[in-house]
Amino acid sequence: MTVVLGIETSCDETAASVVDEHFHVLSSVIESSIDEHRAFGGVVPELAGRAHVAHIGPVVRRALLDAGLDPHHPAIDAVVVTSGPGLVGSLLVGLSAAKAYALSWGVPLVGVNHLEGHLFAPLLERSDLEWPMLTLLVSGGHSMIVLQTGPGQHEVLGETIDDAAGEAYDKVARWLGLGYPGGPEIDALAQTGTAGTLKLPVSMTGPDYDLSFSGLKTAVVRATEQQSDVALADVAASFQAAVCEQLLRKLRSAMEKYEVRGVALAGGVAANSALRDGVTRLSQEFGIVAHLPTLQMCTDNAAMIAAAGLYRLGADGPSAMSLSARPNWQLADVP
Amino acid sequence: MGRIMNVLAIETATTACAIGLRTGSGAEVTRVLDNERRHTEVLVPGITEILAECGLAPHDIDRVVVDIGPGLFTGLRVGIATAIGLSEGLGVGLVGVTSLELLARGAHEGGVRGALVSAVDGRRGEVFVQTFTLGDTVEPAGEPAVAVARDVVIEWATNGAAVTFTGDGVDRYRGDFNAVPNGALFAQAVPPVTAALGLGASRATQASISPLYLREADAVANFTTRTRPQ
Ligand SMILES: [Zn+2]
Repeated sequence: MTVVLGIETSCDETAASVVDEHFHVLSSVIESSIDEHRAFGGVVPELAGRAHVAHIGPVVRRALLDAGLDPHHPAIDAVVVTSGPGLVGSLLVGLSAAKAYALSWGVPLVGVNHLEGHLFAPLLERSDLEWPMLTLLVSGGHSMIVLQTGPGQHEVLGETIDDAAGEAYDKVARWLGLGYPGGPEIDALAQTGTAGTLKLPVSMTGPDYDLSFSGLKTAVVRATEQQSDVALADVAASFQAAVCEQLLRKLRSAMEKYEVRGVALAGGVAANSALRDGVTRLSQEFGIVAHLPTLQMCTDNAAMIAAAGLYRLGADGPSAMSLSARPNWQLADVP
Repeated sequence: MGRIMNVLAIETATTACAIGLRTGSGAEVTRVLDNERRHTEVLVPGITEILAECGLAPHDIDRVVVDIGPGLFTGLRVGIATAIGLSEGLGVGLVGVTSLELLARGAHEGGVRGALVSAVDGRRGEVFVQTFTLGDTVEPAGEPAVAVARDVVIEWATNGAAVTFTGDGVDRYRGDFNAVPNGALFAQAVPPVTAALGLGASRATQASISPLYLREADAVANFTTRTRPQ
């Protein structure tokens, strides 16, 4: 039985997890520094890096103990770590610690792509996945539509040409004077508002699968200046509807072109209620399975990194101990 | 305290990455692995090599000592995260030492006596400094602090006391430090790993260590932000 330790430090979560070859999650520990960033309306890289150093030792230790392992002599077969993309100062903490654990225990190191980790999240929650599958990966740093023909077999069909969806949520929330992160704030407010009250343009009407949210953010700013009497809840509902409209329209168009047996959501924005409803409806319409991750599996975690590492270890073998961080590592460049 | 057998030292506070190993059989090997801020790439492969050279395996390490700064933040975090991983992974003690005291001990070893200022380059015209008195022993005469390099120069030029400056912060502002009439320079760019090995073997281990930053996070000072790439 192969058992691996996963470590994730690409942004503001310090996470560690033990996962076995059947994708059973034996432990998953997440320590977030989000509260330290809230006042700044975004993740402050230096603060994130500092928090990772403070948390990495205790988080890994807890993950090993939770999995019933001896922290100094764990029955671990490999150490998997996110080596990109992400904040370089944050990535380096996890990468350095991961190398040290691997050296200590005499086991291989496996560097994996954070985005590929998100694609593996559904495998941790259900064993009935059917391929090929389309995944809408949306987060604060990334927005893309990915065609997967099997684990580790992926093609990026389209991605955002400017801001990520989550980034747009954060910026609009800031504009509206809401808290950070913007996603949950706007989602909650939108529940009581009426979509369409604020007139927003339909964007990205081309036949490709690329996405764009920068224009939408600007349109919200302009429209709220012109229609200053629109209630905050209605603004939130209108913005959320416009984001989902674009994402779901592009996803639908991909579903029409590629015959897939499943559709999945991944990334932090996958926690969004309107998006989850929309993907569920689409899957019903096409008669295919929808894989909606639990809220815990939407956000950054190390279990998904461990899962991706199990696959990469088998497919590509271990990484060199000279592995460096790749802050801009594209999913299209994996492996 | 039992006899410490094999001590590993990690030094990443400056642009250089250095390591050292002192073994129970009395051997001591130190090495500068890189001078170009490639800490992440060279550190663990370097440790593997130095262990092999001494005929040791990772689990033979009995203690890890690491420079906690002050110095360049990213490099410090690479060294400290590695030290934490080794200490946790091997179940061995960890000792944190400062870059400024290592420089002071290096100067002492080199024969310097009297007032000494250790200065590590902090970029942006600033240095991390601490004053020591070197006699039979090395005694701190002040706390570690961050200061404008030129202010340190002016302070010593005006107080007239004899002083020796050392560290890569002095190298960077060599012209300024050279101009102190009562000052001497002791060339020493990298905090010496030999000193770290000595302190690591003799000091009590710490339950946890953290970097000595001495400066607020940039964005806290400037309030610049990025969005959350989750
Ligand atoms: Zn993520």
